[in-house]
This record gives sequence, structure tokens and C-alpha cells, in this order.
Amino acid sequence: MKDDYLWDKTGQPDLEIQELEEILGKLRYQPRPLDLPVSRQRSYFPLLAIAASVLLALLAAGVWLRVRNQSAPQPQQAEVIPAPSPVEEKKPEQITSKVVPQEVVAVNHRHRHRPVPAALSKQEREEALLAKQQLMMALRLTTEKLSLVHRKTQNTTPANQIKNQHRVG
Amino acid sequence: MKALFRINLILSLLIALPLVVQAQDPRLQLNSLDHLTAKANQTVDVNVDERLMKMASKLFNEKDVDEAQVKKLVAGLKGIYVRSFEFETEGQYSAADLQTIRTQLSGPGWTRMVNVTSKKEGNLEVYLLFNGDVVGGLAVLHSDPKEITVVNIVGPVDLDKLASLEGQFGVPELGIEKTKKNDEK
Repeated sequence: MKDDYLWDKTGQPDLEIQELEEILGKLRYQPRPLDLPVSRQRSYFPLLAIAASVLLALLAAGVWLRVRNQSAPQPQQAEVIPAPSPVEEKKPEQITSKVVPQEVVAVNHRHRHRPVPAALSKQEREEALLAKQQLMMALRLTTEKLSLVHRKTQNTTPANQIKNQHRVG
Repeated sequence: MKALFRINLILSLLIALPLVVQAQDPRLQLNSLDHLTAKANQTVDVNVDERLMKMASKLFNEKDVDEAQVKKLVAGLKGIYVRSFEFETEGQYSAADLQTIRTQLSGPGWTRMVNVTSKKEGNLEVYLLFNGDVVGGLAVLHSDPKEITVVNIVGPVDLDKLASLEGQFGVPELGIEKTKKNDEK
């Protein structure tokens, strides 16, 4: 038996091979367009949920900061508020003697009427003057307290030591 | 999945950020003391924020040595806030009033540098807020039976510059030496 049919399909066809050809022929390569599996519908829900969460967090932070800032009132000038007193006539004296005792001692009169830079408007200038007064009052109070701290922490003079020794002895 | 994790991380940071900012906020909330105004014989309420500070700075004359020093001192500051109440009689404020301030000062960053207790002068506490090695804020809490004062300076406080103000503009002599800060460290 010649095997030419098996190699190049020439010569006498072999029945058995033909039968096999028919069976396997169904699986032969058949050119056809690529059929990709249909991609599933992409769900944007998680991304939307995250974006919404971020937005909510930002909003909450913004509201919180706003409320926090609003809850801190910022008066534009220092206030010295006298409490109601049964003897009204004595009140002004009490205030002036108690409020800023150093003010009379070391107010800088040289610069009281210094011309203000022209860049500020009238309203801004008034605001700035008030702010300056507040600033100076705050600095005065701060340094006063720090001075007190300094005096207390540095209060180890020989005179005190002797005094203490005397007390102990 | 990785992207989701990153988004979650960013979200968590965004939520945590305000809390961190709150924790290291050099500005104290002094509103809790406002109710003392009605009881006080005398009240000092100073609120100078950064905007007002800048406006006030414009009024300082740089050619004047004294004012130039003050201007330098306040240049980097973000605000100065003061509440001071003086009472006619003792016992007008409670320990809880002080505690609300102390609680804020016990937060991270704040360090109590000085605590002086005196029968005559009352209790004096000085706190500094450190951002690393830099001072980011100062708080002074003074309380005696008839007075309560809280000073809060927000921003990089230069103690040397503050010391250099002594004796000027009614600021009393401090006696703070330039080396004091180093000694304290």
C-alpha cells in the first residue's frame, strides 16, 4: 500500500483515512472574526460612593471650621467693662486706678499724632489704630505677667535667703 | 483593589487632618470664660488676629527704634488673644473655668515651662507650643482669688524680642536676659 494519500492526498485514497478526515474535519481551522467575550457592565457605584464620601468629609470639615471660627467672637477693640456697683460715683476712679496703672507711667507721647500711611482708608486707619491699641495692651499685659513670673522664678536673692533662714531658725 | 485602598487612605487622612490640626492648634478657645464678664469688676478682652496685626503693623514707624522692635516682634505672629477678669470678691470663678483652659494646654505640642504658685500673687503658668524646635505659640495663665487672666500668643514668639520690649510703650521692665531661654533648655 502506498502512503501517498496520507502525505499529499495523491494516489489511492484510503477509506480509513477519509473517515478520520471527516471526523476531524469539523475541528479544522475556519477563518472567522475574533469573537471576544462581551465585557460585563462596569459598575461605577463604588467610585461614586467614595467620591461622595470624600465630598461629605470635605464639607463636614469646612462646616466644622466655619462654625469653630464663628464661635470665637472677635471684637475689634479692647473692652474694659465695669461691673454694676452700688456706689456709682466711685466707679470711674476704681477703673482708672485698676485697669492700666503702667499706662500713665510710660505712654509714648512722641508718636501719638504720627501721620498714618496714606495707603489705608479712613475706616481701615481707625481699625488699625484700634488694633494697635489692643496690641499694645496685650503686649503690656503679657510682659507684665511674664515679669511677675520672672520675679518669682528669680527670687533667690541673698536677702530672701536670710529671711527664710531666720524664719526657719 | 489597590486603587480602592489608596482612596480609602486618602479619605482617612482627610478625615483625620482636622483632628490633627485641632490637636496642635496654638490658638486657645477662650469663649468658655465669657460668662465671667457679668461677674467681673473689670474685663479686658483683646482679640487681634493676623489681619488686624498686619494692619496695626502698618502704623509702626520703622525709623523709630522702639516701634521697629515691636513691629519685628509682631511680624511673624498670627494673633494675640487676652481675657482678663478682675473680681470684687473671691470665689467668682470656679476650678472648672481654669480646667477648660488647662485641658487645651495639655494637648500635644504644649509644654508647661513655668508654674509658680504664690499665696500673694496666685498661680502663674507659662506654656509654650513647640513645632519641632520652633516655638509656635505662647500661653500665660494667671489666677488668683480675685483675678483670672489668660494670654494667648499665636505664632513664632521670639522671647528675646519680647525681652527687648521691656521698658518701652508702658511695657514694664522684664529683666529677662537673652540667655534665659538657653538656660531653660
